[in-house]
Amino acid sequence: MATTERRSGTAAAQTATETALQGAWWKWGTGLVMCFVIYGAFFIAGGAVGFGKTGDIARIVFFHVPGAILQSVSYAVAACYALVYLFKTHPPRKAAEIDARSAIAMELGFVFCALATITGSIFAGMQWDSYWNWDPREISIVIMLLLYASYLVLRAAMAGRPEQRAKLSAVYALVALVPAQYLTWAITRIVPSTMHPKNPLFEKESLSLSYKIVLYASFLAFTLLYCWMSQLRFRAFKVRTLIEGKRG
Amino acid sequence: MTTFDQTAVTRVSWWQQAFALLRKDLKAELRTKVAISSVGIFTFASLLLLGLATAALKEVPTIKLLGLTYPISFDTLVGKQQPAWDSPSKMGMLWVLFCFAAFAGLAHSFVHEEETNTVAALRLSMAPGAVYTGKLLFNLIVLFAIMAVVTPVYIAMTGMTIGSPLVFLTVMLSGGIGLAATATIIAALAAKAQGTGALYGALGLPLLLVFLMLLMNAAATVYVVNAPTLRIVKDVGGLFSFGVLIISMSGMLFHFVWEE
Repeated sequence: MATTERRSGTAAAQTATETALQGAWWKWGTGLVMCFVIYGAFFIAGGAVGFGKTGDIARIVFFHVPGAILQSVSYAVAACYALVYLFKTHPPRKAAEIDARSAIAMELGFVFCALATITGSIFAGMQWDSYWNWDPREISIVIMLLLYASYLVLRAAMAGRPEQRAKLSAVYALVALVPAQYLTWAITRIVPSTMHPKNPLFEKESLSLSYKIVLYASFLAFTLLYCWMSQLRFRAFKVRTLIEGKRG
Repeated sequence: MTTFDQTAVTRVSWWQQAFALLRKDLKAELRTKVAISSVGIFTFASLLLLGLATAALKEVPTIKLLGLTYPISFDTLVGKQQPAWDSPSKMGMLWVLFCFAAFAGLAHSFVHEEETNTVAALRLSMAPGAVYTGKLLFNLIVLFAIMAVVTPVYIAMTGMTIGSPLVFLTVMLSGGIGLAATATIIAALAAKAQGTGALYGALGLPLLLVFLMLLMNAAATVYVVNAPTLRIVKDVGGLFSFGVLIISMSGMLFHFVWEE
């Protein structure tokens, strides 16, 4: 998307992407797809067997799974920017932008992680009669939330020293990558007793066509929403640096 | 700009630098005993807090008569009561103590350098990797010293069994490495951020949650009688790998934290 292309592309390609994403057309598109997802979640997809009495609670998959996947993608994006910030030298303005990109990815990761945690907890309450079960998957998502929060706390604590803050928070993002990766890949294997439904994306037969249509649309909608939010935050950062530059 | 000048100190090898720093830290420590006593007192006070808080958790011994279960409340039997929790959870609680203790005391290694204004001298005279190694070794020694004293006391207080001694020892050692590694790199970050102790805990403890999950997984294996070797290797190795990964990550990134 806009964020990844900006990193790898040349200056010309960057400007092209930027101008292409300037317009409002894809935001209208995001709204339309999101409307379709909300409509589809309640009227296209039916209840699923094995979820509660009526199967209605399975519909939360359209809001829970994209949030959960986007938060881990978001951490990967933040870690990539942190790596680029630390291991490549850039002119100061460019470096500040890379740092801002990394921080924005972390902020959005926190938001989407909170979304996944809350929807997951609602699902757990309906499905297993308890909003919190100390299931390995529940524990991992809440630790993920804490890792994002710690990163943001570190940044908030160093608000007055932008250059040091950029360096230290990049280091923290990469050190915290180790436990984050354990949470994603190892915990579900070493503590296999999870009640969490299997990931529908990796199970071929588990999704009916109506679910597939709405779920894929939901991925598209949430990804576009993520890009939009990221773009807004980045513009806010640019405006802030502009104002600070004029002031001092 | 105070960065490390490689040519100035090539006469002394990297390991020698690390050991020189370790020797200096140990000497200073033996003089003041700040780290060892603060971590030690913190651990013992928490141990007593824990003992008081779990006093109500005692199992009431019961007797079965004619198919019914009766509680026994003779005073003579009270002495034989055990807390109503199993050894893995006791092990978990012991490690919660260690985690808090490490985060109460191990920040000292870097904060001390900032306080006494010796950071610049250290930065000029040593390679960043040597500084990291020296500090990590120092924290490892302090942590292992504390563990060597506290663990037997804890076992005596709570009646925790140790299962297979070799596996138990491996779990304790790998756990110590993981904990010291996490505490060291976060201490360097927090000292540089000039944050308070609260920041140190806030940065480090979320990382340790994952460590504690791996540790509890390994602790469960310790108490399995005749556990298959593959399971032991897998679970204890999982715990050990956390420390190894944190150390290698820190080794790659430490000079960004250390250099101005």
